[in-house]
Amino acid sequence: MNSLAYQIIFYLFAAIIVGSAALVVISKNIIHSAFGLLFTFFGVAAIYVYLNADFIAVTQIVVYVGGILVLLLFGVMLTNKITQADLKTETLNPVPGLLITLSVLAMLLYTFYFRAKWVTVPVDQQLRGTVVEPIGIATMTTYVLPFEIVSIVLMVALLGAAYIARADRKVQTKEGK
Amino acid sequence: MLNDLLLTLPITIATVWVLVLILCEAFVHNANLTRWLTAIGFAGIIASIFLIPSPEGYAYGTMLRTGTFTNFSNFIFAVSGLLVVSISDKYLEEEEINFGEYYIILFISTIGMMLMGSAANLSVIFIGLETMSVALYTLAGMLRKDVRSNEAAMKYFLLGSFATGFFLYGIALIYGATGELALPRIAASLQTNGVSTLFWIGLSLLMIGFLFKVSAVPFHQWTPDVYEGSPTTAAAFMSTGSKAAAFSSLIIVLSNISIALPNNAVLQTAFAYIAVATMAVGNITALTQDNLKRMLAYSSIAHAGYMLVGIAAGSNEGYSGVLYYALIYTLMNVGAFGVIAVLERHRTLTNASDYAGLFKQHPLLAGLMAVFMFSLAGLPPFGGFVGKYKVFAAAVEADLTWLAIVGVLASVVSVYYYLRVVIFMFMRDPEPAPQANANATGSFALVAIAVIVFLMGIFPTEVLKLADNAMKVALK
Repeated sequence: MNSLAYQIIFYLFAAIIVGSAALVVISKNIIHSAFGLLFTFFGVAAIYVYLNADFIAVTQIVVYVGGILVLLLFGVMLTNKITQADLKTETLNPVPGLLITLSVLAMLLYTFYFRAKWVTVPVDQQLRGTVVEPIGIATMTTYVLPFEIVSIVLMVALLGAAYIARADRKVQTKEGK
Repeated sequence: MLNDLLLTLPITIATVWVLVLILCEAFVHNANLTRWLTAIGFAGIIASIFLIPSPEGYAYGTMLRTGTFTNFSNFIFAVSGLLVVSISDKYLEEEEINFGEYYIILFISTIGMMLMGSAANLSVIFIGLETMSVALYTLAGMLRKDVRSNEAAMKYFLLGSFATGFFLYGIALIYGATGELALPRIAASLQTNGVSTLFWIGLSLLMIGFLFKVSAVPFHQWTPDVYEGSPTTAAAFMSTGSKAAAFSSLIIVLSNISIALPNNAVLQTAFAYIAVATMAVGNITALTQDNLKRMLAYSSIAHAGYMLVGIAAGSNEGYSGVLYYALIYTLMNVGAFGVIAVLERHRTLTNASDYAGLFKQHPLLAGLMAVFMFSLAGLPPFGGFVGKYKVFAAAVEADLTWLAIVGVLASVVSVYYYLRVVIFMFMRDPEPAPQANANATGSFALVAIAVIVFLMGIFPTEVLKLADNAMKVALK
């Protein structure tokens, strides 16, 4: 494939991401928003493939599309009250909000294009082929501590969710149950 | 690996102990037992810090820092946890949420804080921050049937996640600009490659994340609603432990990076202006609050401002002043929230006017509250005065005399709303008096806090030496 084809495919995915993300925000129907999100996640995964990050692309699809989005859809469909309700999509303070957003965007884009000195890896050290193996090794050696602590984050999130969602219990006092 | 576990003994103990707590709660279902075990866990952490202080160095590669700074900050978090546990049980019974989960989640939150206070790598700071925050979101929503508590948890969660987004984007841009996540190597990379605009933007986004956690203006709006809606004892924990954790992480990042920054004045000026805004907004808004929990929330914003003065000074003295301030603020603020928790009944009796004539009904409680209020106002001879003196003196030394003057003026304003409570307690006639809901451990903890606050005001030298020492080695 030549670079023109690459470019066309890239912009196609970029358009899908922006368009579906806009649908997520604008749509008043939560189901439509959820399906919009599906396309956004897929588009972002495709961009990861372009960046040679195949592991992150697959993770993106497995975790976000396969896990979170399906959960979201099940949650919405099982609670029938939400499906009918209109989402509030009106914008508060549009002018100041737009000004701040655009100025931050302009600042970031200007920096990225003109003032950034991105650190780049020399060509001979660049990875060839899959990156899964180096990621796995790094996770279990250099980054083993953060990797293990993530399990504590997940555990406290589970504990908290179980506490908030569980049925009522009797309170214990000093005298016993 | 075994050596690393021993080097970071407080974190190792805490992680193992969490499993014990969870298994115990799962099989025994006894909140009082879990409470005592949690207290023992905190005591064990404190004991390990004193008995086996870790030597200077790194653990797990360059993931965690060990040494005096870490010992000092871990001590603050464990003390905060221990005190909050000891004032909690009666309040939880009164509010009918006396469940073991409360203590376990509080304990896990402390693990996050200890990771933040000993991190040497941005990824560890981020995960520590998340561990702490997720636990705090749950603590804010512990009163499941109370609308205000639900609101507090939801607000804290949404805004906190948003701030985390900024934090993470900042880390990503810093990685893009330097190619490193470990703080010492980031500094080295900046020294060899120079500081690019990209790095500055990354650093600013990172700072937004920190400033949200310490509730500095203009990222403070969540504070009053969350502290008022959360269970009072949980608010005591949020306002002290999590603030101390965010500040110690901030000190770690800044003390590592500032050597490599060619133009330190930019950072200094930015922090000075944020400190002024934080002190002004916190103190002036607190003047009009009648609800004591709200007032303490605004006062905690103001105190974040005083601590930011020390950060703005950017010197060893400033940072060690912030450490000392975080410790003394932990003590006196847990004390003040503790007194409120003793008197509160289902969201009533939290206004200053409810405290009218408290001295005649409960002289001890009124006396304790007066000590905490005087200390928060920064009046000598209490510990709060020494903390303020340290950070303001550091500002003067760093040629920020105007900032120190603003700080002193702000604390003069603060005297008004702290003393208002004292006047109500001692000089008004009693209304139908609130019933105190104290027990032995809670009252003992409150008295002990008051005594320590008093002692740290009269004999601050030893603790100050420890704080100075913590910074001296960390900045080397």
